Amino acid sequence: MILELLANAISTGVLLGCIYAALALGLAVSFGLLHIPNIAHPVFVVTGAFAATVFNAMGFDPLLVSLPLALVFYGAGIAFFEFYSRIYEKRGESDTMQALTLFFGVSLVIETVLVMQFGADQRSTDVDYVGQSLTLGPVVMPYRLLIPALVAPVMVTALWLYLKYTYAGIAIRAVAHDERALSVSGIDPGWIKRHAFGIAAATAAISGAALVIVGPIDPFAGRMQIGRAFAVVILAGMGSIPGTLAAGILIGVTEALVGAFGSPSWAPAVAFTMLLATLAFKPSGLFGAAR
Amino acid sequence: MNRLVIEGLHAGYGAVTVLRDVSIEVREGEFVALLGTNGNGKSTLLNTVLGLVKPTAGRVALEWDGRSVDLTGLAPHAIVREGIAIVPEGRRLVPTLSVTENLLLAGSSPRGRPAIDDNLAYCFDTFPMLKERRAQLAGTMSGGQQQLLAIARALMCAPTVLVIDEPSVGLAPIVVGQVFEAIAHLQETARLTILMAEQSFFQAVDVASRAYVMSHGRIIRTLDRADGAIDHAEIRRAMMGVAAA
Repeated sequence: MILELLANAISTGVLLGCIYAALALGLAVSFGLLHIPNIAHPVFVVTGAFAATVFNAMGFDPLLVSLPLALVFYGAGIAFFEFYSRIYEKRGESDTMQALTLFFGVSLVIETVLVMQFGADQRSTDVDYVGQSLTLGPVVMPYRLLIPALVAPVMVTALWLYLKYTYAGIAIRAVAHDERALSVSGIDPGWIKRHAFGIAAATAAISGAALVIVGPIDPFAGRMQIGRAFAVVILAGMGSIPGTLAAGILIGVTEALVGAFGSPSWAPAVAFTMLLATLAFKPSGLFGAAR
Repeated sequence: MNRLVIEGLHAGYGAVTVLRDVSIEVREGEFVALLGTNGNGKSTLLNTVLGLVKPTAGRVALEWDGRSVDLTGLAPHAIVREGIAIVPEGRRLVPTLSVTENLLLAGSSPRGRPAIDDNLAYCFDTFPMLKERRAQLAGTMSGGQQQLLAIARALMCAPTVLVIDEPSVGLAPIVVGQVFEAIAHLQETARLTILMAEQSFFQAVDVASRAYVMSHGRIIRTLDRADGAIDHAEIRRAMMGVAAA
């Protein structure tokens, strides 16, 4: 009985953790690699979720339709970054406080637009596999968690390979360290940052579709995720893409165990506790390079 | 004539004017040294050529194969793409990338991309040390090794003119000798066109075909090997501020 509870807590934790990783992946690029504190990222994800519900209502599969939507988000991310860099970064030193204020404001604007467009009610998707489960011995995995959870390892692997083996990926890993190193290499650092921010935004379209399969969401669902997303990125180690998956799962499993054996009321505090512990004892995170 | 030409350049930082009416040229195949002690405007001149400092007057142009490209006011990466590669002061490598990744970063710019594999092979042939250490992170190498990597990185940009800013800074004297040897070897074998700023002037002048001496933001002397051996005593007089006529 206790073993069954443990096994189910762990499997649910792993699945939830994968979804946390998918949510945080864009932040691992914009905050972890570009050092832009984009607290609006979870709201980007919620926007992706609402876009998926619109197309789902027309009969499209939310995950499949999120792929073309990712291209739209990429373009929007580039446009948004251009705006951000013109207004803030070009004024000499980029000021973190100003950037936080901007992204906070952007979150509120997007939430307001979503409420005006869709109302404050919860929205969900209609897919065949919701309600069914995969049963492996004592472990029961609902498809509404399992399918979106599988999105995370696919996205993490694709992004990791892209950053590791493509020329643009090498430049993205270098740009936060030293823009001038890119300039003298004949690479436009401004273009590389726009491109990377576009990729971060594109991941939000796919993670949003995954999130809305898990359960119904409302326009304010991003607020719950801000702290958790930052906790994942910092626990992973700034800029570590595979670390994002490990950190997400670690947080997810811990939350599930606290929920199963302690009190579910404590679960939301888990991510922040782990965030604070990481900053206090191992600021470079699990997989971050020592700085 | 193929050349990099700098005409009547004035530049500075805010209200401070550093360069006053600087005119120099670097012809194809030449190794030109820019000499001067610290604070006389060598780095400012090179940074202006590279677009990192905006000039207040004058122009920088690359006249090559019948084309004349005005580089004045272009962004640094655009100037590199026109064929001016730089080995910057302090090297500006990415310490968290490997040797190969640092080279590929520069090689993947539009100018170097078509021949990226050949250029990488050439760099590894020229600097076997880099080939042995190709997977090592640039930040973990010694200063001399990093300097050679910075030179190789500039070669990956397929340069018309190679600009080198103070390659000896922060290196042990014996390593400085090795770096100069490598640069001189490159110049001889590849007939590279080089403009190099340096304050350890005797070593620089022994490998250069021509030299300009800078003082207080002006060119005060031009020395040409074609006029006979460059006289060390004369350079010392010029550089120590005893401005000869």
